[in-house]
Amino acid sequence: MDGSTNSAAPIGVQAPQIPKYPYYIENPVTDNRVGRFLEAFAAILTYSDYRPLLDSYCTSSAKCNRCAVACPVFLATGDPRDIPCFRTNLLLETYRRYFTIGGWLKSRFGGGFELTEEIIDEMLDGFYRCTACRRCTRECPMGVDHGLITHLGRYILSLIGIVPKALQVSVREQLEGETRNTSKIPKAALLNTLEFLSEEMEEMLGVKLQFPVDQPNRDHVFFCAVSDYLLEPDTLMGNAAVLYAAGDWDRWTIGTGNYDGINYGLFYSDWHLENIIKQLIGEVTRLNGKTILIGECGHASRSAHDFVPVFGGREAYPVTNFMEYTLDCIRKGKITLDPTIVTERVTYHDPCNIARSGWIVDQPREILRSFVKDFVDMKPAGQDNFCCGGGGGLVSVDEMHEFRMSIGGRVKAEQLRQTQAEICIAPCANCKKQLKELVEYYQLPCKVMGLHDLILKAIEIPGGKTPAERKEDAAMFEL
Amino acid sequence: MEQWIEFAQGPLFAFTFLIMLVGLGRLVLIQVYSLLTGKGRRLQNAPWRKILTDAATWVVPVRHLIPGTKLFSAVSYLFHIGVLVVPLFLADHIALWGRYTGIDLPSIGYGLAHFLTLFTIASVLVLFTFRLLSRRLRSMSRPADYGLLIVVLVPFLSGYLSMHPSYNPFPWDAMMLIHLLSAELLFVLIPFTKLAHIVLFFFDRISGLHWQLQPGAGDKVAEVLYGKEARV
Repeated sequence: MDGSTNSAAPIGVQAPQIPKYPYYIENPVTDNRVGRFLEAFAAILTYSDYRPLLDSYCTSSAKCNRCAVACPVFLATGDPRDIPCFRTNLLLETYRRYFTIGGWLKSRFGGGFELTEEIIDEMLDGFYRCTACRRCTRECPMGVDHGLITHLGRYILSLIGIVPKALQVSVREQLEGETRNTSKIPKAALLNTLEFLSEEMEEMLGVKLQFPVDQPNRDHVFFCAVSDYLLEPDTLMGNAAVLYAAGDWDRWTIGTGNYDGINYGLFYSDWHLENIIKQLIGEVTRLNGKTILIGECGHASRSAHDFVPVFGGREAYPVTNFMEYTLDCIRKGKITLDPTIVTERVTYHDPCNIARSGWIVDQPREILRSFVKDFVDMKPAGQDNFCCGGGGGLVSVDEMHEFRMSIGGRVKAEQLRQTQAEICIAPCANCKKQLKELVEYYQLPCKVMGLHDLILKAIEIPGGKTPAERKEDAAMFEL
Repeated sequence: MEQWIEFAQGPLFAFTFLIMLVGLGRLVLIQVYSLLTGKGRRLQNAPWRKILTDAATWVVPVRHLIPGTKLFSAVSYLFHIGVLVVPLFLADHIALWGRYTGIDLPSIGYGLAHFLTLFTIASVLVLFTFRLLSRRLRSMSRPADYGLLIVVLVPFLSGYLSMHPSYNPFPWDAMMLIHLLSAELLFVLIPFTKLAHIVLFFFDRISGLHWQLQPGAGDKVAEVLYGKEARV
């Protein structure tokens, strides 16, 4: 795959040699990439606090290669360049050589590592072959966080203009555009979608609901991956059904100033990560909300949960993932799920950002086991799960589709096949998209959906149609 | 030769051991100082429970025996037992520690010590062979990765031969001198090589803390590179 474009040069003038990039970038960087990389690295080391981490990793990385067999990409390719430690070492060697006394001394005596254009090529490829799932980190006896190194490597590259266009354009719209969201959904379109969802819910559930918008002083301000408004109406209606059935309809709101939980900064830039978090916090403050309620999205949940306290200061609102809220409602008896509705075999995919890098493993399983008769876990599951293959933002990079299918997601597809499940629950916008594509690519007889899509089928709605009636309606509709 | 051995057991031992202590102490101080000054109050945000639970799983890392690593990992783990126990708790070593530190460590019997020594030697050879023959290990290995295994092997091998004259083809005092000097070389190398994971292990495992990024740093980095009007 070559995402770069060679511009035509006037006759007699040699066109600049544009390096090949494995993904589209806005303005392919052509000159002095080494110098610019080191300049950006130096700036980060000056203002951020990565030094102790890099010093420690540089000294004690054991190169035992346990990370290799933990990595779904290496398991698919067997290519030594896909070993997490190999990739990490590119950045550690650069740090050691240019930013430590030992490296400087070694270079004086004519030995050691030199950063070259070829190594920049290896980094820009390697750091985006990594899905940042951090499974290798879990299995590293030294605790080297290859996911964090991937984040740092991508951050440095982004500062010299090397970042997939798909991510950059989305972040630009979210931070500097009119709509302030990654899918460029204007406020009017959001309101239309909510109206459409209201009508759908009325027809499906038999209750008339108006989505709360810009309501001040509510307990929960809701953020989902904004793409859900376009692509995952059942997940959103499932969320809404839980809030209604639990009697919390007057306790939540969607803000029209900012309604996107996505934060690609987590994948490639401290700079954007912080500013997107501040934007999220700003909306809750504007509405005088009390907590941040994140929909079914792994990285949105992790970035809000982990970084609102870091960047929020006094405005560090508590962050709840919607699955936690739903489980709480079940435990308190505020909602009831009909255990006779879902008869298919169901499995659950753990999004890396909320399972391995987060705090959500048992909660969705407790919810599922409360109403699904035939639940089966993947092997391995929970914090040891395999990435869907589209993590770290790769799922949004269309030109990497073949990589995500044939390499990144190969192990996951096999795991899924072995469960023989008819439904795979993936409570994450990114994982869901990737898994839907995987199911199609590998022709697996499995339907991928969010947890609340399934809850929507089984939830008892006070004053509305019963789950059995809705199931009948759905069967009629399918006929 | 006796004078050389006396020198190696005396001042050279103390000196090299001091280098190790000071070197490791320096690494610890740098880490602690950088974290306290760099992270400050954000240390409170770190998922400490998760960090500590994760570190605890590596004390007896049975659940980390994942497919494709079982033999290598088991040998690596057991190797560490011999490497830690024999130098500290062999009766002859205890006398040496006592002389310099005043600490009277309990002794393991010679039988166990000899077994652990042989096990350590065998482990090093297995690890060396893995590194040499496995494609993915070889692709990552630098000369130092092989060299350090040899540096660890020599004091154990020479120690065993010194204790077992019937297997030792060389003069006892030469072997003892090799034993002492190789152990002292190890002391000196520890703070400057990956062997420093003796202490850095604890700082590597706290990545949950390193994710507590510096507020405002991103804007400053962008400004210094692209000016105040820096754009996405």
